[in-house]
Amino acid sequence: MRLHKSLRMVRRLGRSVAIAAAILLVVWVVVLAVSKEPANAMKALLVGSISRINRFGNWMEESITLTFAGLAVCLVFQANQFSIGAEGQLYLGALAAGTVGLALSGLAKPIHTALAFCAAGAAGFIWGAIPGFLKAHYRANEIVTTLMLNNIAIQIYNFILIRYLKPPTAGYPVSRYLPASALFPKIIPGTRVSLTLILSIAAVVVLYYMLYRSTFGYEIRMVGLNERYAHYIGVDVKRIIVLSMAASGVLAGLAGACLVQGVHRRLIIGISPGYGFDGILVSLLARNNPVAIPFAALFYGYLRTGADVMESNSDVARELVVIIQALTILLVTARTLVPPFMRRERGKVQ
Amino acid sequence: MSSETILQSMFSAMLVVTVIRVTTPILLASLGGLISDLVGVTNIALEGIMLSAALAGVVASAASGSSLVGLVVGVLVGALLALTLAYFHLSLGADCILTGLAINMLAAGGTVFVLYSLTRDKAFSTGLKSISLPSVQIPLLEKVPFIGEIISGHNIMTYIAFVLVPIVSFFLYHTKPGIHLRGVGENPKAAEAVGVNVGRIRYGALVLSGVLAALGGINLSMGYLNLFVKDMTAGRGFIALAAVYLGGRMPLGTMYAALLFGLADALASQLGSLNIPPQFVLSIPYLTTVVALVVYSVQRRKRGASAISAARRRGATDRTKDGCRVG
Repeated sequence: MRLHKSLRMVRRLGRSVAIAAAILLVVWVVVLAVSKEPANAMKALLVGSISRINRFGNWMEESITLTFAGLAVCLVFQANQFSIGAEGQLYLGALAAGTVGLALSGLAKPIHTALAFCAAGAAGFIWGAIPGFLKAHYRANEIVTTLMLNNIAIQIYNFILIRYLKPPTAGYPVSRYLPASALFPKIIPGTRVSLTLILSIAAVVVLYYMLYRSTFGYEIRMVGLNERYAHYIGVDVKRIIVLSMAASGVLAGLAGACLVQGVHRRLIIGISPGYGFDGILVSLLARNNPVAIPFAALFYGYLRTGADVMESNSDVARELVVIIQALTILLVTARTLVPPFMRRERGKVQ
Repeated sequence: MSSETILQSMFSAMLVVTVIRVTTPILLASLGGLISDLVGVTNIALEGIMLSAALAGVVASAASGSSLVGLVVGVLVGALLALTLAYFHLSLGADCILTGLAINMLAAGGTVFVLYSLTRDKAFSTGLKSISLPSVQIPLLEKVPFIGEIISGHNIMTYIAFVLVPIVSFFLYHTKPGIHLRGVGENPKAAEAVGVNVGRIRYGALVLSGVLAALGGINLSMGYLNLFVKDMTAGRGFIALAAVYLGGRMPLGTMYAALLFGLADALASQLGSLNIPPQFVLSIPYLTTVVALVVYSVQRRKRGASAISAARRRGATDRTKDGCRVG
């Protein structure tokens, strides 16, 4: 049994390595085609993230946000709910953390920080519960509703930021910096890496225990495997649909809080360049396994930071990494390593 | 300004012209979304296909000096991306939503990457001398006051878009391939049993939907504007998809829904003078879509008492299991 399991792990690892090699090959060809200094560009992409302490810090920051986003996606995917609303939940989480951070003052540091962080989770909870409720009680498809709610969330974010949080003197739409009492303390000198690093690891542990050691998690996974069966063994399927999507929203909201309370330290327009969607890639790479999520996030964060270095050090645009991301999704989903939510839809056509 | 004059200016011929102009790209893409939806595949890649075609059209027209070449290349790129979606989803068994998301990412990153590699500019294609598609003045009609103002003088793609509505409708309901297409979407097994080549129909429908979305994208960069701008689709592909649902999966309904979204878009830019936040108006289409989805499913459940719709519901479950459709 155990031998079989480890054999399977080795096989999976082999596939992942093969995919990575194929993608690297494509990237190399693309860089050769567009760059006058291809070796330089590739070197920046591949080792840029560890070339300087501040870049290492950027890598960690990216990975923290991606971990939260990946965990959020992993949770709904485990429940076989195809919510792609992490992006909107992240925006509202950022907005809530920023608003609480700016509006309250005179609080002790840990309390203020924690309040803002919790507010982000609460905002994400609500924004996740809405499509969950509509799905569970009105059978409104979650793909469409979450896509729509993403756009609405971004409009709300922009509205509050521009109308209420932007200082009248500011020339462009940003808020004031959050007071120090609402910011997470930095833990790696020379970088902006903050306590959120520890929190992201804690989130992994919590989600793991919730999914695999609690009744709630068991029910989520049962609904994910087979809704009808879950219903027969007495799971309140509707409740699980709503709560799994809301809990996923909490994690996405916390990703937004990390951006506000750790990285940017204020609200800016377009605070997330698509982390919610990147979370889908992270979760796919981790095969929806919470323990593997941080590693997938580190891998992808490494590439993204390297791509930034590549852009400043060579003539290749950082968007190369988005192409890598798209290719990865195509290759990973096209193979037999399919999580349950895709299994039902595998090709039937000759 | 009194609110009366504002209202007057809002409901002028100018507004109608604007609505038609902003509806065009949405309408074209939504017709594509309709066709793929009816065949049983939710084409979430409309957004990325539009964006890629928009850039391809600009680059090709600048390179060749001909807007027609730009149009053709743009359409080919759109068809190619749709074919990629079809291949990964239909032949390799990848999930159509994830494949669609991947194509959207590929387009969002790829267009910037290509633009930067060609012009060292990440946001605008001003370095490329692209050629737009012509506007059309309709003889005689253009002289008629108000009506002429509204109907004449649009970009040629606008006329194509609105003419395509009855054509798509005729195709879907009165031609053999169209009926096969809907049959495959309705019940693939039954279609297969009566000898329809399900795979070929699905491939064909997806490529067709890619071509239509590409036309929408080309309209953006070679008509609506005269250049490519980073992320210029700005969610229109998703709005187009929403128009399909809001329009009840019918060509005419889809057109009305697209016009509604166009109206909201046009009003959003004019309501600034009324001190209504534009973000609020811009949210209306999305809110409408969510509400429409709920209403649609509640109605469907109400009808659920009759045997026919029960059978339909069974069909619906089969569909979601077999194809890859939402809603």
